[in-house]
Amino acid sequence: MEKFFDPKSVVVIGASNSSLNLGATICNMLKDYLHYTWPVYVVNSKGEMVNGCPGFSSVLDLPETPDLAVIIVAARHVPGIVKDCAKKGIKRIVIESAGFAEGGRDGTAMQREIDEVIKTNGIRIMGPNCLGTLSTRNKFCSFYGVNPSLVEMNQIFEAPGNISYIIQSGGVVVLVMESLYYDLVGINKIISIGNKCDVDEADLIDYFQNDETQVIGMYLENVADGRKLMEAAKKSRKPILMYKVGRTREGAMAAMSHTAGMASNDLIFDSACKQAGIIRLTSINELHSLPKMFTEMPLLKGNRVAMFTNSGAFGSIAADLLVEAGLQMVPLSSQTQDKLKKAGQVFNVKNPVDIGPAPPQTYLDIFEILLSADEVDGLLPLLSVWQTFVIDTLHELLKMCKHYDKPAAIYTPNAVAKSIAIRAKHRIPIFETPEEAVRALSVSHMFNESLLKRGFIYDQAECEIMDDKRNITGKMEAML
Amino acid sequence: MTTGNVLKKEKEMSKILFNAVQSGQQALSEYESKRIVAGANVPITREVMAYSRQEAVDQAVKIGFPVVLKGSSPTLTHKTEMGMVRVNLKNKQDVAQAYDELMDKDIRVDGILIQEMVKGNREFVIGLTRDPQFGPCVMFGIGGIFTEALKDVSFRVAPLTDDDAREMIHEIRAVKLLDAFRGENAVDEDVLVKALVGIGELGMTHDEIAEIDINPLIVTEGKPVAVDALVILETHRA
Repeated sequence: MEKFFDPKSVVVIGASNSSLNLGATICNMLKDYLHYTWPVYVVNSKGEMVNGCPGFSSVLDLPETPDLAVIIVAARHVPGIVKDCAKKGIKRIVIESAGFAEGGRDGTAMQREIDEVIKTNGIRIMGPNCLGTLSTRNKFCSFYGVNPSLVEMNQIFEAPGNISYIIQSGGVVVLVMESLYYDLVGINKIISIGNKCDVDEADLIDYFQNDETQVIGMYLENVADGRKLMEAAKKSRKPILMYKVGRTREGAMAAMSHTAGMASNDLIFDSACKQAGIIRLTSINELHSLPKMFTEMPLLKGNRVAMFTNSGAFGSIAADLLVEAGLQMVPLSSQTQDKLKKAGQVFNVKNPVDIGPAPPQTYLDIFEILLSADEVDGLLPLLSVWQTFVIDTLHELLKMCKHYDKPAAIYTPNAVAKSIAIRAKHRIPIFETPEEAVRALSVSHMFNESLLKRGFIYDQAECEIMDDKRNITGKMEAML
Repeated sequence: MTTGNVLKKEKEMSKILFNAVQSGQQALSEYESKRIVAGANVPITREVMAYSRQEAVDQAVKIGFPVVLKGSSPTLTHKTEMGMVRVNLKNKQDVAQAYDELMDKDIRVDGILIQEMVKGNREFVIGLTRDPQFGPCVMFGIGGIFTEALKDVSFRVAPLTDDDAREMIHEIRAVKLLDAFRGENAVDEDVLVKALVGIGELGMTHDEIAEIDINPLIVTEGKPVAVDALVILETHRA
């Protein structure tokens, strides 16, 4: 699988100098924006060079066997080219062309032809009808047609993160990439899987168990083998956040029993997610809004949450949301309440803790009191204040969360725009709405429960800081 | 249960299914369906087939009044709608009369099913279906005549763990119906868990079963009992 993300030589089949050629955009991306240093070859009918990449009229004429072939030609030529790749000994192929299983009878026949070739030659294929792969650490990307002025390519590659995406739509890939402008999303890898005739989401979940990935985000339009997906997800030590379309489509099977009549595909998909520990997203934006709760914060290990606000209204709003989400507004112990009284400026020492105007140190004291309290599993700070020192205060809060191994879902009512403007740069996981913050706590708790249910434990002692970029990997070990 | 009994039961189940598939049946009769689900740890009503009026009366006495009489046949999948059910029969005369009425109808039956009359206010449903992507899936929910109107059901992909079963039981909206209810005991959840896990196993091991409805599963003294069951065979899709 590694060669799909870190090839040491590539051939782009179908790249040429004709206007609007999509293959050429891949060469341009590799050469001009990523400064990819390994050999890039192109194959086109004229055998012409494209943006400095040596050109050939057939794969068979290449001076070496590339690690990866990217095919972007009309569908009818693809089966022949795949056969040439097999002859040349190429083992990894991305087919970006469309017009196969989704394109009627001829497409299905061509698909079968390709399946035959890859089976007999031990080739793995991504696609067809896809963009292929992007790997920030390897500075590699096979996406065609990405306009670097629309998407902040440099930003994606300069600050590699720990979120990996498996996405069955080019449009959603761009949505995720574009979210880097305003959200705290550090990308490790992105795969656009298309029709997934060979490599599918389950293979990739397995693959992501052993790389820098901390969170797996998925967008799926269909699942071919539900059981394979469940098996892979059940073994995943990393949270899987999945958005799946088709919520309203009913099962199409002819049903004689009432049971089959009531079983919609979506209902069963939902149940499968629960059984396999997959977190099902309720909006497409959650693909970029929720992962930061996992990459920047410890997991919520119980359901008892303490709220801390300087605005009574937001305390009430969040309290309702919290209870609806199945979390608990924890009653604070008398010891905790005594400590809070001594902190000063506190109007209400019960949950939600409410304070008046206070210096930053008071905020820090209260964070510490709440996070260190045995009865508190996590924190929901709703801070309606914005001064430059708030950024520093929140950085201190992040440190405390790591120290006490308890998360905080930060929301800053009345300063949302300011928070959004700084959160990516300062790496502070701030949520845009109280709903989002509560949801973040809820999915964190859900994932912890599913780890326990599946026999994994989260061992804090094994948590180690990998490097100074604060790449924290939580190492979970099977109890059995 | 001893290993010998389990094997005997499995053999009986396989035989019923094999014969039904061989004879091209689309479904099993209620009586046969009950043998199958009972083998999967679903508690069923005490019942016996009768082939004459005298036999019906004798069996009713053995089971104890009141009893229920139902026409039994693999093609009879909507017994109530066809008027092939007589309930709350309190004595020999009732049974004899009901037997004659059912036999006089112009509907082919293999025999008449004599069944204990189970009373309870709470009715649940357990089912099995096959999803094109996920294969056999088990359903639990509110049963009885309002099943489809309320659609208060949950699903799990087979095979189920005990935890899966317990979770799906608690997932229905009317989960309070499992607690002590109007002077009746709380529902014995362990029995439900065993039944749900068993039906999931059945789906995993018997490809010839396409779908199952166990409805209603009536709770009496806190114990759920399958009062009706229907096993649909895979052949009907061929």
